[in-house]
Amino acid sequence: MKKKWGLSVLTLVLMLSTVLAGCGKDNSKTITFWTPLTGDDGAYMDQLVKDYNATNPEIKVKHVITSDMYTKLSTVLNSGKGVPDLTIIHADRVPGYVKQGVLEPMTAVTAAQPEIKQENYLPQAWSTGTINGTQYTVPLDIHSNVMYYNKDLLKKYGAESFLDDNVVTIDEMLSLKGKLAEGDYVVNDALLGWVILAQIQNLGGDIQENGKPAVNTPVMKQAFEDVKKINDAGLMTPFGEDGYLMFQSGNVLFSTDGTWSSTAHAKVEGLNFGVTNVYSPTPDKFTNRSSSHLFTMMKNKDRSEEKVAGIGKFLEFIRENSIEWAKAGQIVASKQVNESPEFKNYMQSFFTSSEKEIKSLYIYTYEYYPYIAEAVDTYCGDIVRGNVDIDETLQTMQKFVEDKITEGTSGAAK
Amino acid sequence: MPMKKKLNLAPAFFVGPHVILFVVFILLPTFYGIYASFTKWNLMNEPVWVGLDNYRTILFDSKSTFHTQFNNGLKNTFIFVLLSVPLLIIIPLLVAVALEHKKVKGKSLIQSIIYVPGLISISAGALIWLLLFNKQLGMAGNVFGSNVSWPAHQPYAWILVIIITIWGGVGGNMIIYRASISGVSQDLYESAEMDGAGTIRRFTSITLPSIRFPLIYTFVMTTAGAFNVFGQPLMMTDGGPRQSTHVLMMYIRQLAFGNGESIAGMASAMAVLLGLVILAISALQYYVMNRNAA
Repeated sequence: MKKKWGLSVLTLVLMLSTVLAGCGKDNSKTITFWTPLTGDDGAYMDQLVKDYNATNPEIKVKHVITSDMYTKLSTVLNSGKGVPDLTIIHADRVPGYVKQGVLEPMTAVTAAQPEIKQENYLPQAWSTGTINGTQYTVPLDIHSNVMYYNKDLLKKYGAESFLDDNVVTIDEMLSLKGKLAEGDYVVNDALLGWVILAQIQNLGGDIQENGKPAVNTPVMKQAFEDVKKINDAGLMTPFGEDGYLMFQSGNVLFSTDGTWSSTAHAKVEGLNFGVTNVYSPTPDKFTNRSSSHLFTMMKNKDRSEEKVAGIGKFLEFIRENSIEWAKAGQIVASKQVNESPEFKNYMQSFFTSSEKEIKSLYIYTYEYYPYIAEAVDTYCGDIVRGNVDIDETLQTMQKFVEDKITEGTSGAAK
Repeated sequence: MPMKKKLNLAPAFFVGPHVILFVVFILLPTFYGIYASFTKWNLMNEPVWVGLDNYRTILFDSKSTFHTQFNNGLKNTFIFVLLSVPLLIIIPLLVAVALEHKKVKGKSLIQSIIYVPGLISISAGALIWLLLFNKQLGMAGNVFGSNVSWPAHQPYAWILVIIITIWGGVGGNMIIYRASISGVSQDLYESAEMDGAGTIRRFTSITLPSIRFPLIYTFVMTTAGAFNVFGQPLMMTDGGPRQSTHVLMMYIRQLAFGNGESIAGMASAMAVLLGLVILAISALQYYVMNRNAA
C-alpha cells in the first residue's frame, strides 16, 4: 500500500516538474516583446514582427500582446522573474519609470546601430526618452489627438473657409450659431481632456511650475472657459451622448478624436471626411496633444549581450520598414518612413507635411502628467457642460493631483 | 494497544488541490493586501510601513482627496446595494414561484431565457443596453419618447445601472429558488389547500419557511456581491454624472492600477475597509435572518 502511494507521489512530482519546467524553458534564442496593443494595432505589430522574423535573424522576436500590461510589468519587475526583453510603453510613463530606475538605457543599442539616432526620428518622439542626457527609449510612432471634419457638412454650412489657414478657431465655430439644422452640431466632445490640454499650450501656459503641478491656474481656467463657449452656444454634441457615433452618422462637422480613428471612420459608408488640427482659441497657434509608443528595455539582469544586439537589429528593421504601422493610423516616428512617398497616401501624413505641423504634435513630459491628465479627464466634462463651479472644481483638481503626488513620491523615496 | 498509527494520505489528496488553490489565490493575497494597507507602495519598490496613516487619511482627514473619494464611493456603493439587492431577491423569487404554477408552459425555456444574460459579459451587455437607451438610436428615445441622455442625468443613470444589474443577476438566484421550491413536499400544499389556505397564505406559510436557508444564503451572497459592484457603473455611466455613480471599487482600481505611479497602499486600505463593511453587514444579515427564522 505504502509503496503504491510513494509511486503516485513520485509520478505527480515528476509531472509537476515537467509542467513547471516548461514555463522556464531556455529563452536565450527569442526576444520576448510585450506590447499593450490590444486593439486592431496589435495585428499590425504582429505583421511587423512576422516580417522581421522572415529575414531569419539570429534571435527571433516573439510578440506578446499584454492586456493590463503596466500592472503585469510591476509584478514581474517586483519579482525580477519573467521581465520581457523588449517592451512598448507610452510616453507619459517614461519619467516615472526612469525615476524608479526600472529602465535600461538604450546606450548599447544606439552604439551598435548608428542609424538609430535623434536625426532619424521625429524630434519630440525621440527626446521624450532622453532624460538627463541618457536615451532610454526608441520611438515607434506619435499618436495624436486630431480633428476630423465632415466635408459634406462643411460645404452645406459654407464653412469650408475655416480650413484655409489650417487653424479652426473657436470664434469661427461660434459663427455657426443659429445656422445649424436641428440635430446637427459643430463639434463633439471626444477626447475632451486632451483638447483642454492642447488649449493650455495654445494659451502659452503649462501644467507645471518649477516641478510643481499647476492645475488651478488662470491659464487652465481660460482653457476651460474657451471650450465652454462652444457648449454654451449649443454647438457641442449634448452631454452624455456618443459624439463619436454622431460624427460617423453625419451629424457633426468636427470630431476631436485620435489619429487611430481614421481607419474606423473610413469604414463608414458615405462619410466623406478629412483631418486637420484640433481647434484653437487663437489663429496664431494650434496644438495637437500627443503621445508616443516607445520601445524600451525594462531592467533585467538576465538579458544577454546577444539579445541586446538582436533588439538593436529589430529596432533598425522597424526604423526602415514600419510603413505597415501607418496602416494603423499612426504617425510613424522614423523619418525614413514618414518622409517616404508611400506615407503620403495615409491621411495622417498631414501632420508631418510641414515643420509647423510636426511642432504642433505636443507630448507632455512632466513627471506627474498622468495624475494631471486623470484629474482633467475626470472633471472636464462637468466643467465644460457647466454642471459645476469652475473655481471650486479647479481647487479640487489641484488638491487631487497634490494628494496623489504626496502618496507616490514619499513611498518611493524612502 | 500498539501505538501504530497509519498515516492515511487519502483525505489530503482530496482536499489538497482546493487547499492549495485557496491558499495561493485567496489567503495569501488577502493577508498581503491587509499588510499593503499599512504601507505606502507603488507596486514597484518595496512597500514602506506607515502604520495607520492610510486609514487615518481615509477616515478622518476631511481635506484629503482620498477621504472625499472614499466617502463618495462608499455612499454610492450603499445606494447601489439598497436599490439592487431587494430587487435581486424579490424578482427571482416571484419568477420562481410563478413558474411553479401548473398552467405555465415551457418552464425550462423561460428559465433559460432569464438565466442566459448572467452568462454574457458585462461589457458586451452594457454596450447593447447603452445603444437601447441611446437618445438618437435607441428604444428609449424612439419608442418611449424619452428626451434625456440617460447616462448623464440622475436618476436615469442609476436606473440604467440597476436595469443591467437586474437583467444579468435575476437568473442565478431564480435557479436556486426553483430548485429549493421543487424540493418542498407537495403534500404540504395539498393539505393546506384542503384546509382552505389561499395562494398567498400557502406562499407565506409553506414556501417561504421551507426555503429559509436558500433565502438567507442568496440574501447574504447577493449583498456581498453588490458591495463589490464595479463593471456596471464603469461601463454604463463611467461614474458620472458628477461622480454620482462612482462606486468605491472604481476608486480603488483607479488608485492602484490607474494612471501614473500606483497608490496601492491607499487602495488596499480602502479595500480592507470595504471588506470590513461587507463582513459586518453579512454577519448582521445572517444573525437577524437566522434568529427570526428559528
